[in-house]
This record gives sequence, structure tokens and C-alpha cells, in this order.
Amino acid sequence: MEQHREIAAEVPRSWDRPVVSVPVLICLSLVGGQLPSFSTQANLYTLGTGGALIWLGLGNRLARRPAPERLPRGMVWWVLPAVLFGIFEGGTFVLGSSDDFPTFSRLADPLLEDPLVRSAAYFAWLAAFWGLVRR
Amino acid sequence: MMRSLAIGGFLTALALFAVVEWAARREGSRIPTLGDLCAYVMRYEVGPVPVGRIAVFGFWWWLGWHFFAR
Repeated sequence: MEQHREIAAEVPRSWDRPVVSVPVLICLSLVGGQLPSFSTQANLYTLGTGGALIWLGLGNRLARRPAPERLPRGMVWWVLPAVLFGIFEGGTFVLGSSDDFPTFSRLADPLLEDPLVRSAAYFAWLAAFWGLVRR
Repeated sequence: MMRSLAIGGFLTALALFAVVEWAARREGSRIPTLGDLCAYVMRYEVGPVPVGRIAVFGFWWWLGWHFFAR
């Protein structure tokens, strides 16, 4: 007897595509890049965009890519850059983050004063956030 | 001198992140990508609470706020 196998495939929503999400992220980044640090607008905008993405990520509105059941032993390689970064960030933080021995964020601050660089960094942050929401 | 050391250390760490990610994306690699690593962490749940997702989202949210809002 012939058996009919039903294939269940999740159809992506019309707005849930790179052709939609990338321009939206670019627009959000361009706006975010114009807002100076320590301003109320920057605080509200960061909390708003991040909060919206967390809301999407904790709900079941979006299709998610499958997560691995187990990680291969090669994962220990990630410890190397993480520990190196942690040593320098921790060391500079404990020593007071001066101009002589600055933390990473103190080094990044002058670069992020340029609106274009700030928008590019904002895009990287939002794009990675969007990627996490989809995992 | 110390400033150069700090900049060199951070740049080396960032370069190593890129190298490990590149190695992970090679065919047949036994190293997971950073995305797979995050996805694995985000699987962690305590009862009905998605602790892993909350922790990863919370960290990333704080990182953006730290760099862009303060």
C-alpha cells in the first residue's frame, strides 16, 4: 500500500526575510548612530530596540535554526581568545582604566564618536542580536 | 608603553576570535562556530524558564547599552 508522508515545513513570514530585515536593521542603525552617548534618547533607543528583540527572541513568533545537541571537543579553542580578552579587560579595569592602560570600551569611545562608525557598530550589534533571536 | 600593550592585547584577542571562527567554518571542522556555541548555551533551561536565552540576550543587550548609551 502506498504511504503518503506528510511533510511539515514552516513557511517563513513575508517580513521574516533578509530582503526585509537587513534594510530595517540599517535604518535602525542609522538612527541609533546619530544619538550621542549619555543622552536620554540613546538610553531609550538602546533599551527599546534591545527590548523588542528580546521580546521576539523569548516568544515563539519566529522560526529558529536548530541548536546542536552536543558540542565537539574543539570548542576549547574558544577559551583562548576569551581568556586573553578577559585578562586584558580585567587587568585594565582593576588598574582604573586610565589613558595609559585603557579598557576596551575606553579605547572604543573615541572611535564611536563618529556617527558613521557608530552606525556601523550599531548595525553589527543589531545584526548579531537578530542572529541570536533566530537561534 | 602600557597603552601599546593593552591595544596589542585587545587586537590579538579580536584576531584570535576571527581566526577560531574562520577555522570553525572550514568543511569538516571539529570546532563549533560562535553561533553554534551561543545556540548550545541558549538551550539551557531550568524547568520552563529559558535561562540560557535570557542570559545570552541580557548580556548582548547590556553590551549594546554600555557602548551606545553610556
